[in-house]
Amino acid sequence: MTDVSRDEYMAVAASREIRDGDTAFIGTGLPMVAAYLAKATHAPRVNLVFESGIIDPQPVDLATGVGDYRLVHGSTKVAGTFYALSLLQQAKVDIGFLGTAEIDPYGNLNSTVIGPYDRPRVRLPGSGGANDIASMAKRFVVIARLDRKRFVEKVQYLTTPGFLTGPGAREAAGLPGAGPVRVISDRAILGFDPASRRMRVERLYPGATLAEVQEHIAFPIDAAPTLEIEPEPDLHLLRLLRDVIDPDGVYVGRDER
Amino acid sequence: MAQTPSKLVSLAEAAQSVASGASLTAGGFAHSHQPLAFTRELVRQGRSQLTLMSVAECWVAEFLAAAGMLEKVYFSNFMFEGYGRCQRFSKAVEAGTIAVEDHSHFGMVSRLMAAGLGLPFMPILAVSGFEPAAHKAKRLDSPFGNGVVTAVSPLKPDVAVIHAARADRLGNVQLFGTTSVIEEQARTAAQVIVTVEEIVETDVIRRQPELTLLPALMVDMVVHVPYGAHPTGVYGYYDHDAPHLADYYAASRSETDTAAWLDRWVHGLPDHFAYLDTLTISRLLRLRVDPALGYLHEVRHD
Repeated sequence: MTDVSRDEYMAVAASREIRDGDTAFIGTGLPMVAAYLAKATHAPRVNLVFESGIIDPQPVDLATGVGDYRLVHGSTKVAGTFYALSLLQQAKVDIGFLGTAEIDPYGNLNSTVIGPYDRPRVRLPGSGGANDIASMAKRFVVIARLDRKRFVEKVQYLTTPGFLTGPGAREAAGLPGAGPVRVISDRAILGFDPASRRMRVERLYPGATLAEVQEHIAFPIDAAPTLEIEPEPDLHLLRLLRDVIDPDGVYVGRDER
Repeated sequence: MAQTPSKLVSLAEAAQSVASGASLTAGGFAHSHQPLAFTRELVRQGRSQLTLMSVAECWVAEFLAAAGMLEKVYFSNFMFEGYGRCQRFSKAVEAGTIAVEDHSHFGMVSRLMAAGLGLPFMPILAVSGFEPAAHKAKRLDSPFGNGVVTAVSPLKPDVAVIHAARADRLGNVQLFGTTSVIEEQARTAAQVIVTVEEIVETDVIRRQPELTLLPALMVDMVVHVPYGAHPTGVYGYYDHDAPHLADYYAASRSETDTAAWLDRWVHGLPDHFAYLDTLTISRLLRLRVDPALGYLHEVRHD
């Protein structure tokens, strides 16, 4: 079926990373859609937490951001930023989702600057909760479109730790969380080799090829021992995405295939 | 019983307590409860070389940057949700006119909290100083032999500016909805200025003390500023003004358009009530939230 957009593949893949009963730290955009989708399907008991201080909402409208009052609706607690983030330090958060301007083979992220720190060519928004989530959530997932400028050999600024320099580096740095488990892109789902901690290609979306994925990544990347093809999402999931969760296509585009 | 003096002052008077060269911290998160009437008044009065010790008060930072009033900014994330990065702030950093120091949200709140609790540092687990700088974060062995922590140094702003829902004249402050970093900021700052939608009698506060975010002993000045967060929103009162934010965002792509925008909405108006008059009452009333939902149902993403 050529009717499924890349964004829809990404949203479905991201939602699958959430397990029922997880406490999930959610940011604006695709992670929000993925979290709503998980909650509406396989993970009804997921507990959503937002860095604005909102805990376990039952939103009826899609929020424009994590500070949006649409997210307060039906929540079980509203608090402040310190409260929400302290849950990470308490190891109460199972999974977090992060976007990024740059990512390296070990899943380290840069959302701070392009160019020198003191006089950057582009000043980006900064860590926010990203460093906290990546350091302390039990696991985290990166959502990033493939681009040779984004998937780079070395990040220009280490905003957010992935596996740092490779095996054992997170442990040596004293980071409590296990690190990145998945990178969900617009052509494939990537993961990390358990031994080398380097990024690898695990699943291709229908129509995508390994060569095409490698072409859009500026560092050498191999396929996992078994390279799978992502199945087309069930019609039920697509209907939820298109008719209920994001009917205006705010975060999940319909066109790009 | 002795008469407790009222802390009510005018917006102009409150803004006068921020001198050039002072350090500020401000409440708010994303498009919610940012003290923007206060920020506009400060811009109208004109200041220079301010320092901002901030977490997510992106609109305060953006307007102060647009007016060329910032020298140094400690922060963790400035992003206009649904629009993009803060243009004037980012451009000033790129041009080297604003110096910055980055933190994670938790690292930054912990630095404010350290000063707020009167501590020489705060221990946290995340390695917050990702570009390790000795003055802001250091790894430290626990004196009890049970682990290693990151110690972050205290940050103490001169003034905290908060916008909340309601307060009495004594400075007991209540806010519904999320509370951003207000509790930590109010503990930390040497002086706390609170602008509110409504002034209520102390009896109203005492009837629901569980809603009180800051008791009077934490607050130095109270200013009655209805729609004081506009164009951001206040939970339970009004939603953010999406078209107005979008207008600013479009203008902020160019320095000239930003200056024209500031002339129209800040310098060209004598005070906050003239600002509200210019917005028109119908526009303001259309922003009132649906009491059952807590937000404005019709506003979609733009």
